[in-house]
Amino acid sequence: MNLVSLALHNLKRRPVRTSLSTLGIGLAVGSALALISLSHSIRDSTRDGMDEIGDDLEVMQKGASDIFGGFIPEQTAERIRAIPGVMRASGELFMFAPNDLGNSVLTLGWPDASYLWQKVPLQAGRVPNSGERGVAVLGDTAAISLGKKLGDELELIGKTFRVIGIANYATVVNRGMVMVPLVDLQGASSRPRQVTVVHVIVDHASGRAGIGSVRTAIEALGRVSVSTTDEVLDNDRNFAILEAVSLAVSIIAVAISALSVLNALIMATQERTREIGIFAAIGWSNSRIMMSIVIEGVLMCVIGCVLGVLLSFIAAYVFPHIPAIGKLISFRANVGLIVQVLAAALALCILGSLMPAWRAVRMIPAEALQRM
Amino acid sequence: MIQVIERCSGSDKIGHSGALIALRGISRLHDGGAIPALRNVDLQIIAGASVAIVGASGSGKSSLVNLLCGIDHPTAGTVFWCGRPIHTQQNWARLRRQSIGIIFQEFNLIPTLTALENVELALLGHRLSANLRYARAAGVLERVGLASRMHHIVTRLSGGERQRVAIARAVVNEPKLLLADEPTGNLDSVSAANVADLLFKLCETAGMALILVTHDDALAARCQREVRIRDGVIVSDTNQASSFRPSEPEDAAKSVK
Repeated sequence: MNLVSLALHNLKRRPVRTSLSTLGIGLAVGSALALISLSHSIRDSTRDGMDEIGDDLEVMQKGASDIFGGFIPEQTAERIRAIPGVMRASGELFMFAPNDLGNSVLTLGWPDASYLWQKVPLQAGRVPNSGERGVAVLGDTAAISLGKKLGDELELIGKTFRVIGIANYATVVNRGMVMVPLVDLQGASSRPRQVTVVHVIVDHASGRAGIGSVRTAIEALGRVSVSTTDEVLDNDRNFAILEAVSLAVSIIAVAISALSVLNALIMATQERTREIGIFAAIGWSNSRIMMSIVIEGVLMCVIGCVLGVLLSFIAAYVFPHIPAIGKLISFRANVGLIVQVLAAALALCILGSLMPAWRAVRMIPAEALQRM
Repeated sequence: MIQVIERCSGSDKIGHSGALIALRGISRLHDGGAIPALRNVDLQIIAGASVAIVGASGSGKSSLVNLLCGIDHPTAGTVFWCGRPIHTQQNWARLRRQSIGIIFQEFNLIPTLTALENVELALLGHRLSANLRYARAAGVLERVGLASRMHHIVTRLSGGERQRVAIARAVVNEPKLLLADEPTGNLDSVSAANVADLLFKLCETAGMALILVTHDDALAARCQREVRIRDGVIVSDTNQASSFRPSEPEDAAKSVK
């Protein structure tokens, strides 16, 4: 018999309350993990997609709040290409373009001579020839969700495109996108001679110092910002809002779990008033009585956290199989995130346990012993 | 201060006033003073003495016992242990853990634990190894005649057996003072006699002071001293010639193995 076994004993004594409380904690922790994972996954999926394209630097309009929010002149790419140390540079216009099915699909416009066309991992068909217009290459997931195959027609922003290729990218974001000639997308979206971003590949023979000098030279062009992939995501307001909302909802979820523990322990403490009186009567110190209640709360929390992690893993397995989610983002386990959420849940549960523990030791033992 | 009150030993045992525990001007009022449970009570108990507290229901007997072990707080007055005043709950908890054992009429055992686990609870604050705790708890249960029942959940024991578990829990730390609040009040006559014999025998053997709250005049007569309370006031305090007297020889033989 020790404090831990006594706490376990108490939890087993009230199976319904213990089950419901731990389930509440588990759902809260699982929700927090799933929500934060969701925001991380959107960010990670986007980064993976950008990494798959394989650029060193992204040039965007200075002051743009997010990756969709700025436009720069198309000829900026030519000026960047002229900078020493730049191996390749290509403009890109991208947007969520409405299609004839009433949905929006991530659509990228690339110049005819862009190296980006050469890097498309074709599964079937081909990429556009120079000067070819009204054609599109679809990521395989986009092709499936749009129900298109080679030779089919696809309407984007009121303009008709013929599917000439199916790409087989590895990342979820890239598998769901549509690529068309830049001029077509500029025309359809009324953005003549404008691009959203210029992708830059630096000559790596010049090393990190070379990237730095190229970056400085590009920034000297004026009205543009130069970022690495991570910096783009870090500075993106949409991602910042998404993460803030996820964090806020997660904090609420974890706080609800702490309230659940608090409620369960207050009820359990009230039920055990006489028992606490007995502990005091046989000489238990206040700290020992408090410890016994806190240990009970922590045990309940630990069981709930294990349940929550299991639920989040189930969610991570199930969500990608839901088409509306799986075609946009991928989930992956994040040990650091799990540790952070569990630490927060545990801290809240300990705080939640301290209140009933404090109430318990403030009782006069003789009065506690008279309670039923 | 804490160390001084842990144990009275040698000359400290009787302190400057000669008492193991003493009450000075103790009053206990309930409901904001409307109901006086005890009024200006003075009482001294010397080490090894057996004292019966008798009186009618509501006379203040249990209030007195609660104050003697610090599980209730006096409205006025001071409790002294070995001549030193006890003011803090921390000190009271330490005294109950090491020097004062309590036995209740209602047993006050944890109903879902075994007899052994209930006794072990009183040893948890003593920094003993699990093996030593087990050995001490099992040993004292054997002394009260429950060796074969120690692994039973206490709700499956008879009233007399439960009270023996409560006695074992109270004496497992070898206290200097044993407080028994109507320990036989919920027992049949045979069990009551056995429990009473056990209590007196244990106190006599270990040299513990015994304060016994009872309605039973025959039981009170077995104590060295009888304190009578009425309406929260001590109305008589008499020394009696008798000391330990078993009720029936055969019952005592059954109870103390």
